[in-house]
Amino acid sequence: MNELINELKVKIIETLNLIDVVPENIDENAQLIGGDLGLDSIDVLELVMMLEKDYGVKIDSRELGVKIFASVAALADYLHHYQSGKSN
Amino acid sequence: MGIISPVGCGIRDTIKAIRNATPGIKPLRLFPTAHTAPLPVGEISSLSCIEDVPRTHTLARIAAEEAMKDARNAPDAVVIGVTTGGMPVTEELLKNGILDPEKYKYHSTGSVAAYVARFVGCKGPVLTVSTACSSGAVALKIAMEMLRSGKAKQVMAGGVDALCRLTYYGFHALQLVDETGAHPFDRKRRGMSVGEGAAMLLLTVAESPPDNALAELLGAGLSCDAYHPAAPHPMGEGALRAMKEALFDARISPADIDYIHLHGTGTIDNDLAEARAIHTLFRDRPIPPLSSQKGAIGHSLAAAGAVGAVVSAISITNGIIPANTGFHEPDPLLHLLPPVEPLQAKINAVLANSFGFGGNNAVLVLGHPHRRKRSPTSIRPVRPLPLAVLGSACFTGAGNAKRTMERLGQGEGARGIVPSLEILKPLSEKYVRRLKRLCRMVLSLAVSACEDNEKTDPPSAVYFGTGWGGMSETYDFLSKLYASDEQFTSPTDFIGSVHNAAAGHVAIRFQSTGPNVTTTGDDCSFEQALYSASLLSHDRNAPLLVIGADEHHDTLSHLFDASVAQGEFPADGGGALYLRPATSESPLQICPSFIAYSGENGNTISELINTLGGAKRINDQFGAILAGIPAAQREKGEAQLNSFLSMTGYPHPIIDYRQFVGEFASASAVAAVLAVSFAHAGEIPAHICFPRAAPLRGRGILVLGFGSHITAVEIMP
Repeated sequence: MNELINELKVKIIETLNLIDVVPENIDENAQLIGGDLGLDSIDVLELVMMLEKDYGVKIDSRELGVKIFASVAALADYLHHYQSGKSN
Repeated sequence: MGIISPVGCGIRDTIKAIRNATPGIKPLRLFPTAHTAPLPVGEISSLSCIEDVPRTHTLARIAAEEAMKDARNAPDAVVIGVTTGGMPVTEELLKNGILDPEKYKYHSTGSVAAYVARFVGCKGPVLTVSTACSSGAVALKIAMEMLRSGKAKQVMAGGVDALCRLTYYGFHALQLVDETGAHPFDRKRRGMSVGEGAAMLLLTVAESPPDNALAELLGAGLSCDAYHPAAPHPMGEGALRAMKEALFDARISPADIDYIHLHGTGTIDNDLAEARAIHTLFRDRPIPPLSSQKGAIGHSLAAAGAVGAVVSAISITNGIIPANTGFHEPDPLLHLLPPVEPLQAKINAVLANSFGFGGNNAVLVLGHPHRRKRSPTSIRPVRPLPLAVLGSACFTGAGNAKRTMERLGQGEGARGIVPSLEILKPLSEKYVRRLKRLCRMVLSLAVSACEDNEKTDPPSAVYFGTGWGGMSETYDFLSKLYASDEQFTSPTDFIGSVHNAAAGHVAIRFQSTGPNVTTTGDDCSFEQALYSASLLSHDRNAPLLVIGADEHHDTLSHLFDASVAQGEFPADGGGALYLRPATSESPLQICPSFIAYSGENGNTISELINTLGGAKRINDQFGAILAGIPAAQREKGEAQLNSFLSMTGYPHPIIDYRQFVGEFASASAVAAVLAVSFAHAGEIPAHICFPRAAPLRGRGILVLGFGSHITAVEIMP
């Protein structure tokens, strides 16, 4: 799980071109959107595209998005369950 | 009037479609979609392209042809709102790796207006407005101001856009498309249906409307949310300001409105913001019937505002309120009940909304041509009025204005690519992390132009001219799309690819909530922005920004811009002027005196000279001419300049400025900023003006543009 969290942090930084942010700066339990990183709805859409491309996850409703993007930990948790659900 | 939409070609068919509430949204057929079922769109079926022009041009011509059907004379001006331009062809070429510049000759949005101008025989100003989904309505506002100012007696104005991958996949990436088709104002709405279409209106000005008038354009209001690049202000504050402004401009009150033609895209946020704005506008008064047509025809983007105007006129003349197709279940949050069937009603006045990316709002008020209680609408003094210069900034290959002047003073040219670090200097990199080259350049220019004026109010309006818009975003969007076999792309790049993205960012930065106009008229985009600014700026206490800029793109610049293809060195840059309407005491003034599409017209030069006040005034008042001749139009432009010189016997220095700043569409913005610097200094420096510096002796400078458009900008000390 920690591996996935770190991987996501790196991908978030790359995808959103976050200047001067390193994975260690991102608190996986902190609010991801509208928090200290200054991310907004456009960033969410960019992350949605990344998740679909790199993890095969489709997130096409706002309600789902709000839940998944609550924090990096929530995102990792969702992906983890999605992937294990797929392999079962 | 002329119109083509998914439910009909021509006014007659459109009236029939409105009466029958004909549905026009069907799964996309125009191009194959690789991995997903085609989404529902508003596509015009069985459209055969005319000649070898792109779909956008064809649609524009069909609507223009109908609008001109009973016209005796060519219009004095053409103003067209468009965002897709030649994109339907361009994206196909790029997809297939075809990199022959000749094949991209109709790429520019400006080429649509020029194509219409040639078709209708217009030899006056030909302007292109690109403010995303409000373009058509903004074009109508500018046309109306041209008529009110006495600058034109008849103007062809409207909007057009054609379906293409850029918009189809772009809105989908933003999750703004309803996979079941648009249901505007419905509780279960999930988004829009991307569409296409064209609508053109032939406008004329008269003390009383002519007998054959179909409707009267009573007023229009422009505003900017200055809130977010792609989402509306949640309370609809910008929309409300534009509606109030339009009603004020029309000199009527909300109670006079009989029908509201909604923007109503069907997205969750648009419909909510629009509903809130309407509730605030009417407060406790009853809200008139209202409907959105986008559930029937989709969202035709830049055409939508003009389509709305034509439909509003049809409502007035035929006493019909169009159905809000797709509406089933009221949304308690919106608290509005649009009709599901067309209604019969006597309609004297319509409020028609258009809102777009960049928080760009434009609202029109149309009235019955013969039923209104007439209040005198006087034609104002002949404009364009001069604007006073409060600040300026420019970028060239040398860097900022100071570095540019130094380099020119040393006898070295300033042409080249603007250093990226130079652009970033006045900006916080964190703040602009999502912005690419053009947006950064424009924001940086805006900040620099305003920085010495902390005591003056921030700019309330933004006017931006760009030949090509954000090429980096457009290219990256399509590259990612094609690299993933049309599965994935970047929503951020789509938002940045709209031509008015940069002006929207400037508005957010300065909280500029007034008009936000982007003009994209090829090599005179900057002059068109300045001209629009001069037409629309009435408030002496409201400063404004006029900016012109273009980026160099390694792949696209030489494909799109024939002058870049011919130039030896890649170059880009831009200029920004911080202005306010001038008073007689204003020390340094700028005035866009002349703008005309030259076409094959041989008389434009004598009209230019007359407009400038004749040879004597030109020779007495202007100590130098900065002449802009794009490389691709050298022969034609030089002939025009020579004809100007022989007709005036002009005795002072003439500077061919593209030799110093390079070949890019908005090079004239740099020229205007340099002219301001020269006027300040009181001389044209040596090296630019061979062999020695030329004192201006209190005279001004004339910035002239030659080629397919002829322009004149006066800079007076």
